[in-house]
Amino acid sequence: MKRSRSLTLALMSATAMTLAACDNPEEVAIFENAQQCATQEGFDIKACEANMKLAQEEHIRVAPKYTSVADCEADFGAGQCEDAPQKTTSGSSVFMPLMMGYMMGNMMAGRTSNAATQPLYRSKDDPSNFRTGDNQKVSGKTGISKVPGQIAQAPSTKTSTIRRGGFGSSARAMGGGFRSFGG
Amino acid sequence: MQRIEIAERDDWKSQAEALGFNFHTLYGAAYWDETACYRFSLKQIEDDIEDPSGEIETMCFDVVARAVDDEEILAKLAIPEAFWDYIRASWQDQDRNLYGRLDLSYDGESPAKLLEYNADTPTSLYESAAFQWVWLEQAMERGIIPPGCDQFNSIHETMVEAFRNFGIAGTLHLASCKGSNEDEGTVRYIEECAAQAGLETSFIYMEDIGIDGAGRLTDLDDMAISTLFKLYPWEWVMKDEFGLTLPKSGAKIIEPPWRTILSNKGLLPLLWEMFEGHPNLLPAYFADDPRAANLSGGYVRKPLLSREGSNIEMVRSDGESLAVDGPYGVEGAIVQALHPLPVFDGNHTVIGSWLVASRPCGMGIREDDSPITKDSSRFLPHVILD
Repeated sequence: MKRSRSLTLALMSATAMTLAACDNPEEVAIFENAQQCATQEGFDIKACEANMKLAQEEHIRVAPKYTSVADCEADFGAGQCEDAPQKTTSGSSVFMPLMMGYMMGNMMAGRTSNAATQPLYRSKDDPSNFRTGDNQKVSGKTGISKVPGQIAQAPSTKTSTIRRGGFGSSARAMGGGFRSFGG
Repeated sequence: MQRIEIAERDDWKSQAEALGFNFHTLYGAAYWDETACYRFSLKQIEDDIEDPSGEIETMCFDVVARAVDDEEILAKLAIPEAFWDYIRASWQDQDRNLYGRLDLSYDGESPAKLLEYNADTPTSLYESAAFQWVWLEQAMERGIIPPGCDQFNSIHETMVEAFRNFGIAGTLHLASCKGSNEDEGTVRYIEECAAQAGLETSFIYMEDIGIDGAGRLTDLDDMAISTLFKLYPWEWVMKDEFGLTLPKSGAKIIEPPWRTILSNKGLLPLLWEMFEGHPNLLPAYFADDPRAANLSGGYVRKPLLSREGSNIEMVRSDGESLAVDGPYGVEGAIVQALHPLPVFDGNHTVIGSWLVASRPCGMGIREDDSPITKDSSRFLPHVILD
């Protein structure tokens, strides 16, 4: 057969434009540090360290940011925050929670994992669970866990837009009378 | 290959509207036209459309591999120098391509000839992948066509699979320009395919995209955009104010920058130079190449960057010419040997052969009253029936 076996369109129909996609759970590995990672069966220290380093770099990018220590500690607890390397536009300090662990793909799964290596945090109101930079609950224990596919993906980054409207002028310059700018 | 007149489904317009296909009628005339369909044999599809499409894609990759390292070619294609490194890097990093449409002239007997490659912003995807598929199922169910018909159309399945393999982390943003129902419809369909592959998606208009202090692209919620599908030509991106921020934005763009070499009509003389005589290629030269004057039997002059048939001039061997107006053409042009579209019942017919992640996987047919197809050309469904 030269055609698709089945075809359903949930989003396109006028009544269901916002239907959420179904989520495939992803197997991930959670550790507090590279040493703990290396004790997991099938994980070697080199990969553990490389992933921890990756998570530490991501930590700087994706950790929730605060303009006061008090605000940060209100969410993550006393002594649980550090200086972020970023500065506000007026030059004052930025704070972020300490990285409490990291998540990576399951190296034993026998296939390429879709999980993005990322830092994990523990919040003051739910200290028994690891959370992502997006504040999504992951799991309370270290080792191998199944998490929703969305959580396994890299957290998105909140930022500040300084300007909009820099795309589209070429389309306007083409003038009217076009029903499509593609072809 | 035959054109067969058939009955329309009496409810196709209401079905189209319920499915969000709100550009089925244009300029007061039907754009989706199911008063006829085209019939092919399986051998015609596999030997004359599918296999040659795959071969053309392979040749195209050879052209890109050569062009990215050849500044003379990049200049000839009128690609701004500020983007040369960006284009080269996207090729070396093997940034993945999603989809494209080869426009072929094919009469059912002689080899299909490549007219052009819409490798950057092809439309008519939804009609080909989804509406045509539904038509086939219903037309068989209702006895409009015999049972046991097939269609060269696994576009939807292949799109979903391509998104599964893309390795997109985080949200996939998808954009089109304001003011085009057709483009937005196409992007909404692509969003649907991505969502079915389990990706998190978010639609944004090109005009609403912002940048942050670090040069990253942002959406309307001030979230950084990490992967952007844009139904907006690369050559316009390069001219727009934010264009130069893209190479530093850290965002992966679909189609990737290297596709701009293929969506340029300069691809056609480059293919001919490297694969002269290939049965699926037509002789083609850059307009300033002296060899262009040697084309016998008429020629077609195409601006490097035109779309939807705009600014195309066709000169027949008897010297008679036909031209379509439009806003393109300042960047230079190519000439291609004239290979007129076949005529079925007075209609000029062009085949759109779809590639998803470089795999030939479907077909859409456009018809026009004129020998040059344009954005108003009608879309007709097809069947495979031996």
